Amino acid sequence: MVLYIPTDSLLHRLHPSTKIVGLVMLLILTVAFQSPWYQLIILSGVLLLARSAGAFRNLRRILPLMITVLVFSVLSWSLFKRVGEPFWSFGLLTLSTESIRFGFAMGFRLEAMLVSGMIFVSCTKVEEFAYGLRAIGLPFAVSFALSLAFRLVPLFFTRIGTVVQAQQARGLDLKSGNVLQRARKYVPLLVPIFVYAIRDTDLLSMALESKGFGMQGKRTEFLSFPFVWRDYAILGFLLVLNLAGWLMPVP
Amino acid sequence: MNQPILTLNDLAFTYRDAGKPALDQITYSHRRGEFTVIVGETGAGKSTLCRCLNGLIPSFIKGRLDGDFQVAGSRQSGHPHVYELARVIGLVFQDFEAQLFSTNVELETAFALENFAVDRDEMRTRVEQALNRVGLAGFEQRDPSSLSGGEKQRLAIASVLAGRPALVVMDEPTTDLDPVGKRDIFKLAQVLRNEIEGIILVEHETEHILSADRILLMHEGRIIGEGPPGEMLSDPLRIERHGVRPLQTTVLLSELGLETDALTIREAASRVRSAGWRVKASAQANLNGDRKPESGGSLVQIEDLVFQYGDAQPAVDGVSLDIKAGEFVALVGQNGCGKTTLAKHLNGLHLPTEGEVRVLGKSTADWTLPELGRRVGYVFQNPDHQIFANTVQEEVAFGARNYGLPEETVREKVGAALAVTGLAGRELADPFNLTRGERQQLAVASVLATDPEILVLDEPTTGLDYHGQVAILNLIRRLNESGRTVVMITHSMWVVAEYADRCVIMSGGHVVRDGDVRSCFSDPKLLESLYLEAPEAVRLGYEFGLVVRSVKEIVDSLEHPDG
Repeated sequence: MVLYIPTDSLLHRLHPSTKIVGLVMLLILTVAFQSPWYQLIILSGVLLLARSAGAFRNLRRILPLMITVLVFSVLSWSLFKRVGEPFWSFGLLTLSTESIRFGFAMGFRLEAMLVSGMIFVSCTKVEEFAYGLRAIGLPFAVSFALSLAFRLVPLFFTRIGTVVQAQQARGLDLKSGNVLQRARKYVPLLVPIFVYAIRDTDLLSMALESKGFGMQGKRTEFLSFPFVWRDYAILGFLLVLNLAGWLMPVP
Repeated sequence: MNQPILTLNDLAFTYRDAGKPALDQITYSHRRGEFTVIVGETGAGKSTLCRCLNGLIPSFIKGRLDGDFQVAGSRQSGHPHVYELARVIGLVFQDFEAQLFSTNVELETAFALENFAVDRDEMRTRVEQALNRVGLAGFEQRDPSSLSGGEKQRLAIASVLAGRPALVVMDEPTTDLDPVGKRDIFKLAQVLRNEIEGIILVEHETEHILSADRILLMHEGRIIGEGPPGEMLSDPLRIERHGVRPLQTTVLLSELGLETDALTIREAASRVRSAGWRVKASAQANLNGDRKPESGGSLVQIEDLVFQYGDAQPAVDGVSLDIKAGEFVALVGQNGCGKTTLAKHLNGLHLPTEGEVRVLGKSTADWTLPELGRRVGYVFQNPDHQIFANTVQEEVAFGARNYGLPEETVREKVGAALAVTGLAGRELADPFNLTRGERQQLAVASVLATDPEILVLDEPTTGLDYHGQVAILNLIRRLNESGRTVVMITHSMWVVAEYADRCVIMSGGHVVRDGDVRSCFSDPKLLESLYLEAPEAVRLGYEFGLVVRSVKEIVDSLEHPDG
């Protein structure tokens, strides 16, 4: 993935399947708790993980998004959620201790999810992702298609850039005109982009077929990741946390 | 006994929905260790044949396939799957961008092996060997997108070699490459022919195919000629008729009325001399004097231009240039040396990170993009990046309409643009039904309709056969002679020699040489050090102690004592 950070950390060394299952378990864990304090603990935990995986570089890139998400969820849930006894109200807006607690819980939860996802993409290569999916049991074609999509998106954007420049050079001005006029201006962009996409896909399929893609029967893997004690330990730990989180009486 | 590795017997193929067969009566047998080159004009069926060989036809591309072929002794009947044939015959495509899909070099090379279920240890060995073979050892962990064009194409070859096919088929692998990249691929082909059982290569550059064992000439789906290079390439007129640029040695010999079967530069020069031809006393002085009259005033001034994408190394680093009205400038250099980035400053698609670019007296930062685009017409490398309309006429009118010209003027300009590009009479044709060469002309026409003073063309000859190349180049020359300033990016050194006046050589974001074309070719050592090579005609001139730009100039410089 584009955000992959090539360093060597404990998280990087995990088995790809552990990374995928671990991410899913982390996400489930954030949903288990309603209390802002527990959410804060989880958030601090994933931030520590992010730190250890060297993912802060990527977090900095999405910092504006993270701040927006936090402020927006705290404000909107606090003001619009109707729980408990409001101690302040103005029209539709109300504030209560419970709604404020809820707002913070939601804010921290979303942040924890964002950070978890970011850690995952920071320490997983596309091929590892595909390998991990296969190891869990997904068919090769599906995991390959998924990983290929990640690979092709940036390439596709470069192609779009070229087409946009080619048409701008011929005087296409996308900024002026009303909505309808502007929509019509996209035709000169869309046609070459589609032609491009079809042609590229065709060539790529031929290249894949020529290398034995689609062959029946067993396939071997160039990469190999041993599943070792640290994978058991991490997954076991997350499982225990989840069990505790979901079975514990709601505080 | 030397058994053939591949035998085609009366092979024919018709694409689904096509009336005419794309391949017809193809009979061919490939002996072990043979190096065969296929030549022929666009649409002759070269790519179709390549795709038949590894089974993409008919299992991926549908149509009707007749006849039979035997690979390594086993008859393929019915519809063999690509993956069955792929183990025996590997195919390398022209487009090196579209055929790579992994995130690092070693995984790319291993992909076929994974599909063939090769054991992991064996796989490691083969990947290592294949990368060593193509000179990419040490690149294992690199992202393919960070490689140069030539490296990407060599990676594509490695990924095919790793599967240990008996035969490697390459479909125009060097078309998009700079001169060094090209040379590396041909060198590789030379080595490989002895290591695997055979190579089949589709290629246009006659000089590079002299070392082939056999040349197949294709025309309208058939093999119409077959033989060693000495026999196949010695008739320049026949070769040219089939869309291939003839060897310049044979052109010279035929112009002088000599036997044309001396193909290499050295042989040809000695034949000319031994026939009694001598260089005229004032030849070089005459050539040097043959210069275009001094150009007009300055149109473009580039001062200390630096351009950076993000935090990357500057793509253009401290370039200063002054382009005068009426000049024909060729911009050359390796893939990735900053030519295109520099060119995009001329019409404002890029604005300088540092320094200034002034066009028609005004800084590009002060022009609006559309206004500047109208004065500086930019033709992108691939016409398919911009063609969208239903008719040729609409396509050409697009630019002119964008600038809000009155409909009457638009019609007039479109008519003029179509006339000059030779597309008059095709107004209502669907652009997608035109040939690649015609689409390239259409792209030029659509830029001309806004009447720009400056024309910038990014590799206008790529992907065209020799007829197509000459047509577009003559068009550009006519436009230049009628007063338009031309800046052309190109990898073809013969195009620089024969068409441009001024040559700007770039390397690593800098301009390393800027001057009159002849003076640039007077220094072969410098060209060599910049990984460029003087074209065949120029090197043929060196043999006579002349710095020429074309074979015609050599002919003009020679005299025969018998008159």
